Amino acid sequence: MSTPAIEATGLGRDYGEVRALEALDLVVPSGALVGLLGPNGAGKTTAMLLLATLLAPSRGHARIFGHDVVRDRRSARRRLGLVFQEPTVDPFLTVRENLEFAAGMAGVSRRDTRAVVDGALERMGLGPRASQLARELSGGWRRLADIARATLHGPALLILDEPTVGLDPEHRERLWSFLDSERRARGAAVLFSTHYLDEAEPADRVLMLAKGRVVADGTPRDLLAPFGDAVLEVEGPGAASFASALQGDGHAKIVVPSEGAVRIGLDGRKEHALERAAGAAGLTRSVLRAPTLEDAYFARTGARVAT
Amino acid sequence: MATTALAITTRDLRRVRRQPSRLLGGVARPFVWLLLVATGYNSIAQLPSGIPYREFVYPGVLVMACLFGGALTAVSTVYDREFGMLRLMLASPAGSGAVLLGRTLSATVMGVTQALVVLGAAPFIVDVSPTRLLLVFGALVIASAVSAVLGLMVASRLRSVENFAGIINVLLFPLLFLSGALYPAARLPRPLALFASVNPVTHMVELVRRALGQSTEFPLAMNVAVLAGTAVTAFALAAVFFDPEARLIGRTRPARATGAS
Repeated sequence: MSTPAIEATGLGRDYGEVRALEALDLVVPSGALVGLLGPNGAGKTTAMLLLATLLAPSRGHARIFGHDVVRDRRSARRRLGLVFQEPTVDPFLTVRENLEFAAGMAGVSRRDTRAVVDGALERMGLGPRASQLARELSGGWRRLADIARATLHGPALLILDEPTVGLDPEHRERLWSFLDSERRARGAAVLFSTHYLDEAEPADRVLMLAKGRVVADGTPRDLLAPFGDAVLEVEGPGAASFASALQGDGHAKIVVPSEGAVRIGLDGRKEHALERAAGAAGLTRSVLRAPTLEDAYFARTGARVAT
Repeated sequence: MATTALAITTRDLRRVRRQPSRLLGGVARPFVWLLLVATGYNSIAQLPSGIPYREFVYPGVLVMACLFGGALTAVSTVYDREFGMLRLMLASPAGSGAVLLGRTLSATVMGVTQALVVLGAAPFIVDVSPTRLLLVFGALVIASAVSAVLGLMVASRLRSVENFAGIINVLLFPLLFLSGALYPAARLPRPLALFASVNPVTHMVELVRRALGQSTEFPLAMNVAVLAGTAVTAFALAAVFFDPEARLIGRTRPARATGAS
């Protein structure tokens, strides 16, 4: 069995009295796609900075391809490609110059730089924009230049903190298909955080964080399983009593109160449940839909991921 | 490490090329001093060495170009921290040492470039041979490198560009005024003269004076010792402050620069 891309055991970080990350246990095999979900302040960025060797852990330890993130930072960094929330392209440099700078930072020799940069420009479709100043690019293209910057040296592990924030659907699609090709072609592992829960559904594994703690950990399928085939979302003064009645009759697998509404995971017979909702007193709205990771997060924390 | 340091230097110089006003502003400052202060005092100042005031102050103005050019270039480091780029640089396999080295190189080039423009006026102010000009060039490289490291030391602790601009000016002007650049340090009151004797800018000015063949107040060995000591100490302090773990452990809340949540 090959060395995992990430092995973290009890990894945690405090800022004085504030416990930003309690204890993260995580193994990410090569080629895996793993998502971290949680609202602002959940500990996602802290977890990523610890794994990126940019923060020292307060407790626990982590290895990147077997290299300890504290004692063997340099070796760990050679395997990493990082994308932060803020775009890290220099607005006063052209796209090509930005990538040349990134190649130098990754330790690519001057002799190999041209080929490496040309390859990154081509893979990301940035060739026609290579001579443009980064400040003249749209936010979407700037983000794609950022991804090209992070991947040009062929890192075996990509750590991406909210990579799709502010991107339109076209650029989001382009970004995810590029990351998918990186996984398939090179076996690169990807650890990402996102507020867009649909982006986490193709992941091999999802960790949900709240206030520095891991509140759920599993495949999206496992996390959605408690909700059955469908979720009936009802609103109105009678929502809670309707949900109790449905649960009492054995039609509801799980009932999750959420911000004025109640989400009910149905155990089959969804049309029947919807008909009952249509005739129930005190309901102002009822919607039948597929379960989402937002439901799973709400069930564990009583809060939304995207705040 | 060399590849990474060169990448940083190349990036910084490309940025300067796209913002020529930074270079022009840096060159304008010493020329303003040369024209306004040196010309004004030239007719009234009586110096023990007997040389005209304009010749006396010229080495100080050259060092001013190195000092401000070298130290103010460190603002790039603060800018990079404020906008998240520094985190990317610190995550490179070469680490913070390469970042500091690259930044020192680019700031030195900036200081020397600005000083060379001022040196272009030398034939109108001092009588100097080509050999002495080479010596002056060497002194300017040393002055710029030490200034660069001093600027980095200040920048390594700061998180906003506005703070850096304010603090660096407050630091640089006293260093310049108490350096013997504008008047002989020996004539200062004793505590200030004592400060001047250990002030690195004093010894930068002295190196340039020596190169131009002017009289000096301190021995060459002291010039070299103070400048080398300053450079090593400032570089070491910058390295300590720069290290993300050293900076972040013990913080009471997530740092803005880390963006931690």
